[in-house]
Amino acid sequence: MSAQVLIFGALNGVGIGMIYFILSVGLTMIFGLMQFVNFAHGAFYMVSAYAAFAIAQWTGSVLPAFLISPILAAIFALVSERLLLQRTYSLPHEAQILITFALAILAQESVTMIFGTLGKNVPVPEVFSGVLILGGFVYPSYRLFVVGVAVAVAVAMWLAIERTRFGAMVRAAAENAEMMGLLGFDSRKVFMAAFAFGGALAGLAGALAAPLRGVEPLMGREALAIAFVVVILGGLGSFNGALLAALLIGITQSLMSMIWPGGAHLMIYGVMTMILAFRPTGLMGRS
Amino acid sequence: MTTEGLRFPNGTTVVIAVFLIALPCILPSLTLASEILVLATGALSCTLLLGSVGLLSFGQGLYFGLGAYVSAILIRDFELTALAATIVASLAGCLLAAAAGLLIVRRQGVYFVMLTLAFAQMGFFLALAFPRLTGGENGFGNVPRTTIAFGQFALSNPLLLYAFLAFLSFAAFALVQRIVASPFGSVLNSIRYNESRSEALGYDARRFKLAAVTMAGGIAALAGAMNTLMLSFVPLSAIDVETSERLLIASLIGGVGSPLGALIGASVLSAMSDFLSPIWPRWSTIVAVLLIVTVLFLRDGLLGLGGVLRRQGKEMPNG
Repeated sequence: MSAQVLIFGALNGVGIGMIYFILSVGLTMIFGLMQFVNFAHGAFYMVSAYAAFAIAQWTGSVLPAFLISPILAAIFALVSERLLLQRTYSLPHEAQILITFALAILAQESVTMIFGTLGKNVPVPEVFSGVLILGGFVYPSYRLFVVGVAVAVAVAMWLAIERTRFGAMVRAAAENAEMMGLLGFDSRKVFMAAFAFGGALAGLAGALAAPLRGVEPLMGREALAIAFVVVILGGLGSFNGALLAALLIGITQSLMSMIWPGGAHLMIYGVMTMILAFRPTGLMGRS
Repeated sequence: MTTEGLRFPNGTTVVIAVFLIALPCILPSLTLASEILVLATGALSCTLLLGSVGLLSFGQGLYFGLGAYVSAILIRDFELTALAATIVASLAGCLLAAAAGLLIVRRQGVYFVMLTLAFAQMGFFLALAFPRLTGGENGFGNVPRTTIAFGQFALSNPLLLYAFLAFLSFAAFALVQRIVASPFGSVLNSIRYNESRSEALGYDARRFKLAAVTMAGGIAALAGAMNTLMLSFVPLSAIDVETSERLLIASLIGGVGSPLGALIGASVLSAMSDFLSPIWPRWSTIVAVLLIVTVLFLRDGLLGLGGVLRRQGKEMPNG
C-alpha cells in the first residue's frame, strides 16, 4: 500500500472523525454541565437523519435539511427535557440512563412506525455530487463539504465556549452549578440551552451523515455506542478529548476499511480496548 | 437485593421451583415456556449485578452471545453432549467477563455503564467480522439435538428439553440466592450502599465488583447456551446490543430486589412478545413506557407493586 493511499484513507478518516466529533460533543457537554448521561443522544441523531430524508423527498434536495434538521432535533431535545428528563435531575445516574434509554426506544419505534424498518438512501446534494481531483486521487466533494462544515462548527463552538458570555456561563455551570445559582444565574435556563444545543449538534451530525450512510432505525443505537467510545477515550466533559478521540477512531475506521472491510467497525472498539489497557482513564488521563 | 434475614434455601427458592414446574402447565406452548427460562436466566445476570452490587450493565448480551456460540460449536463440531457444552460455555462466559471486567471495573459510575455497552457492541462486530466461525449474518446453524450426557436422555424430546432447561435455570437461580446470602454477598451489598465506606472498612471494591461481573458473565453465558439448546441454531441477534437491552429490561421490569424478579420480568416480556408482536410489531413502545413507569414510580419493579399499592393506601402519595 502506497503512502498516497494511506494519506487518502486518513483524509477520509478525518471526515468520518469530524462527524463523530459533532455527534459526541453534545453528549460530553451535557454531561460536563449537569452530570447528566443521555442515552437518547443517538436518538437525536437518528430522528434528525430521518428528517433529512423526508426533506430530501419533499424538496428534492437534502441541502435545506442541514439547517432544518438540527433545529428539529433541538426542539425534540427541548421538549423531552421539559416533559420528561428534568424530572430525573434529582434521581441517581442509573435512573437517568434508563429513562433516556426508554426515550430512545420510543423514538426508534416511532420512526419505524412512520418510515418502516428498511433502510433508505438519501441522495447527496447536487452541488456536491461531483468529485475533486487531489494529487491524482478522486475525492468526493461532499466529503470535503462535511469536513468543512465540521471544522467550522468545531471552531465556532470553541469560540462560543471560550469567548462569549454564554460560554462563560456554561463553563461556570460545569464547574459548580449550585454556586452559579447562588450568584443569581438561572442554571435551569443554561441546562435547557445546553440540551437544545447538544441536540442540534447531534442533529447536524445525523443530517450530514444521512447522504453518506443512508438512514435506518438502528442507526441511533450505533451512533450512541460510537459517541460512548469517544467520551470514554476523551473523557466526559472534555472538548479537546472528544476531538482527539473522534479523529482517532475516524481515521482507524477509514484505514481499516481499506485493509479489512469486515473488521472496520470492530477495530474502533479494538483501539478503545487497547488504549484502556494501557491508559485506564482514557487519552487525556484524568480520572 | 436486601440481605437482611435472607437465607438459602428459603421460601423464594420454593416459589421459583414451583414456578418453573408450573410454567409449561399454564402456558399454551412449551416453546414459550422455554423462551421464558432462557430470558429469565439471562436477566438474572443483570439482577445479580444491579440488585446486589449496584452495577448497571448494558452488555450482558455479549456473554449471552458467547455462550450461545461456544455451546453451538462444541455440540456441532466437537460432538460434546449438552451438559458438558453448557458447562464449558458458562466457564467461557466467566473468563471473558473477567477479562473485560478487568478493564471495566477500573472505571466507576457512568463510565462503567458506557463501557459495558461498548464491549457488547465490540462482541457484535467480532461475530460479524469472523463469519467462518460464527456464520455471520446467516447465523450458526445445524446444531444437532444432542443428549444431556453419556448418550442418555435425547433432547429431541421437547418435554425433556424443557426439564433440562428448567434444571439449568434453577441451578442459576439457586446459585444467585446462595451468593447473595453469603458473606461475600453482604460485602457486595455494602458496596452498593456506600462504596467509599466499604473501601474504608478494608474491602477492595474493585475485586468484589470483578468477582460479581465474572459470575454474572457465567450466568449470561449459561442462558446463551440454553438458547442454543432450545433453538438448535444461533442467530446473529444472540450477540447484538438489543439482546443486552432485553435482558436488562426483563430484570428491571420484574424488579432487581429479588432473583424472583428476573423470572417475573422475563415472563411478562416473553408473554408480551408472544401475544403482541403478531398484532402490533411496534409493541416495544409499550415496553419503553413500562420501563419509564418502573423507574419513576416502581423502583422495585412489578415485584414491588404490592408494596407500593399498600403504601399508597396508607398515606397520600407526595411524588
